[in-house]
Amino acid sequence: MDEIRKLRNIGISAHIDSGKTTLTERILYFTKRIFAIHEVKGKDGVGATMDSMELEKERGITIASAATHCEWKGHRINIIDTPGHVDFTIEVERALRVMDGAVLILCSVGGVQSQSITVDRQMKRYEVPRIAFINKCDRAGADPYKVVDQLREKLGHNAVFMQIPIGLESELSGIVDLVSMKALYFEGPNGDEVRTGEIPPSMVDEAMLKREELLDAASMFSDDLMEAILEENPTPDLIHEAVRNGTVSRHLTPVFLGSAYKNIGVQAVLDGINRYLPSPPDVKNAALDIDRDEAEVPLETDPDKPVVALAFKLEVTPYGQLTYLRIYQGSIGKGDDITLTRTGRKIKVGRLVRMHAEQMEDLTSAKAGDIVALFGVDCYSGDTFTSGGLNYTMSSMFVPEPVISLSISPEDNKSQTNMSKALNRFVREDPTFRSYVDQESGETIISGMGELHLEVYVERMKREFSARVTTGMPQVAYREAITRRADFDYTHKKQTGGSGQFGRVTGFMEPSEESAYEFVNQIKGGVIPTEYIPAVDKGFQSCLNKGAALGFPVVGMKVTINDGKSHSVDSSELAFTQAAIGAFKQAYIKARPVILEPVMKVSVEGPSEFQGSIMGSINQRRGLITSSTEDGDFTTIDAEVPLAEMFGYATVLRSLTQGRAEFTMEFLKYSRVPRSLSEELKANLRGKSRGEKKS
Amino acid sequence: MKDFISVSPLKVLERSSEQILGPGNLGVLVARAGVGKTACLIHIAFDKIFRKEKLVHVSLEEGPDKVASYYRVIYHDLLKALNVEDDHEYRELLERNRMTLAYINQSFDLKRLQANLRNLTERLGFRPSTLIVDGLDFEETEREVFEELKKVAGEFEVEIWFSALSHRHITETSEMGIPYPVHKLDDLFTIIMQLQPGQTGIFLKLLKDHDGYSVPEGSMRLDPNTFLALD
Repeated sequence: MDEIRKLRNIGISAHIDSGKTTLTERILYFTKRIFAIHEVKGKDGVGATMDSMELEKERGITIASAATHCEWKGHRINIIDTPGHVDFTIEVERALRVMDGAVLILCSVGGVQSQSITVDRQMKRYEVPRIAFINKCDRAGADPYKVVDQLREKLGHNAVFMQIPIGLESELSGIVDLVSMKALYFEGPNGDEVRTGEIPPSMVDEAMLKREELLDAASMFSDDLMEAILEENPTPDLIHEAVRNGTVSRHLTPVFLGSAYKNIGVQAVLDGINRYLPSPPDVKNAALDIDRDEAEVPLETDPDKPVVALAFKLEVTPYGQLTYLRIYQGSIGKGDDITLTRTGRKIKVGRLVRMHAEQMEDLTSAKAGDIVALFGVDCYSGDTFTSGGLNYTMSSMFVPEPVISLSISPEDNKSQTNMSKALNRFVREDPTFRSYVDQESGETIISGMGELHLEVYVERMKREFSARVTTGMPQVAYREAITRRADFDYTHKKQTGGSGQFGRVTGFMEPSEESAYEFVNQIKGGVIPTEYIPAVDKGFQSCLNKGAALGFPVVGMKVTINDGKSHSVDSSELAFTQAAIGAFKQAYIKARPVILEPVMKVSVEGPSEFQGSIMGSINQRRGLITSSTEDGDFTTIDAEVPLAEMFGYATVLRSLTQGRAEFTMEFLKYSRVPRSLSEELKANLRGKSRGEKKS
Repeated sequence: MKDFISVSPLKVLERSSEQILGPGNLGVLVARAGVGKTACLIHIAFDKIFRKEKLVHVSLEEGPDKVASYYRVIYHDLLKALNVEDDHEYRELLERNRMTLAYINQSFDLKRLQANLRNLTERLGFRPSTLIVDGLDFEETEREVFEELKKVAGEFEVEIWFSALSHRHITETSEMGIPYPVHKLDDLFTIIMQLQPGQTGIFLKLLKDHDGYSVPEGSMRLDPNTFLALD
């Protein structure tokens, strides 16, 4: 158990370009997992170790999460690197699911930007305790004090300095540790040697003041510390314990600072991870018992209990599929049998490894709390593995519905095969990425969470699978919904020799805000025999895929049947399914269907001088601006904008603001398309279908 | 929401000489901490919004999410209190007619406010009739700022409502009985109201009404939970 208590599963999350890959790289260097330091956009052509995909190396961004392992002062740390771009939300969310704590990196110049807010919101949703690291204190314009204010104001954190910088911008030379009240300098060619010294005299007053703030905040989480402060003897151990209590309970965010690039402050962050972030037993986890109607079952970080493990990430390697697992309970050893809950299939554990980015270390076994990888296991991302007859599944992750799609077609035969392989792989890796063949056009359609999301997969197809494909224009995922109640009374009757078909259904359809589809059976006296009711339901459901207004899927409908008729010889399941289809068609148009479109919550952040231009650009896109927030020289504009209007917005915003503003968006809701646009949409679709018929 | 307008705290103005604050004018709600200044200001906002007028909520302390959540909570209480089932139309009015301008970390200044209001008008065609300013510290703000705000009210043809925090231990008043901290600013404010807790509810008192200081019958009782008019 002592060993598990010294384990940390942490994520490093941040806004893109805040330097998380650099920090991870430095952590791996100082923990002696790598022996040289590279830059992210590697001038030396090597690239940071955590960026495992070629594409990421080229773009200097991290897309896929990779788990890597290191050791620091007797603690084992699994680092889950997470992407910073909001279009890859599922990657972030999946990583958050398996981590016990996180380091939130903030840029000391840019501060808390819109993407940091999105990432922080996700961490809140998964209840991940975090410490903050204010990076890039060596850059011109660095202001960690402003960033801490933003952490409090914008993110609502009870943020408290654990350190203060010695100098800033090009003058940054070290940090003052407010617990030990010592100055720390990072010397040697790569900052390997931490030299402790006295606080520079000019900083003593400020250090005292900030330490007071730290003690005030920390004492809320420890009576012992509070007493010690009254007795004027707060020891470092008491302070650490109090800060840890506050952090683990997510009521306190200790703030570290430095410059990963200049190797200042990284070792202190590692100490912070060990001291303040939780170990696996400190975090409550639960599974769902499939045999007991998915009742929640608490899991124990106990290596002797039956296994419960979650596959949170799949990766293709030259040696086969690699499955990243978080073991929540029990132990997994080489040669063990574990069961894949989804299929009930037993799997023999072959090669069990611990990953260090692209290198690996073979293991004979792994225990509860750990993150490891398996080779050669056929499964999907999000699958649960168990042993000892447990029929558990880890609670399902929040998976948003895709909002954008585009058609792709291979340029040649070889690409056709490779494209299929790639799609098969991506669908397993990412639940927000879908792929299907449109039955009418015969085109392959991919759908996902945003333009960039799909763009990255198209590029991966080209690079990793040598599939050359051409893509169509992005299409928004429209829906249809009825707006009023309409009655139906439909009889399906066919007599073509032999036994006939007869079924009559009566009832009504009405709008429902509760669910996408609801079926209510109010048949009394068996006028429709019970065995045919599921067939009626099936008939209605079959109509939902394609609404009669414009052929978009139908949502928000409640169907109630309250009367009908059957025939002792001619009624059948098929007859009642057909009757329901007829009833749907009879009532649907009467129920005044409208078209719904996805509306995104958009947040644009940029220098205040551009407020007018940004507002104008949103207004032109049928956007509804809900607020504008001034913070220092920056303005953040929050708006609700239809997705259909957001195509190409990144380019427009760049040119409007000289590249100084940025935006994030995430799905908010479906809203009714205005009547004029709805007519336009209808005309376009009619034109398209006529064109297709001609060709 | 006709029902709401008939029980809105702004109904107290029916007892005033002109029945409204009016464009170009400043109004203030004075109360001690915790009595419900923000809630009452939001009720004033609802009154305007449901009359299909446009409103800008200027927040000097909280970010827009917090402001939106205050509105949400009060709105739901309102629906419950008035027994409204289908609120589709009101939700739409609220979405279309309210805008939040937040100034956090001491970012507020008059030039910025003017630029922001100009952007709203010119870029979005959003022409407010009312500004709600919440969180302005009357004790720390110079008289000149209020003079300038009165000019802003004139320039943009808006009425501006403020909230001012009074203290139990400071009993200073102006000659005309206007309490601290508005006592030296009363010439700049067209309407001054005070929110005071009492045994049978919260009382909204009209202390100054346009040119008149003593307002006969200028007091109204509010429900302490919903802030809706009881009398």
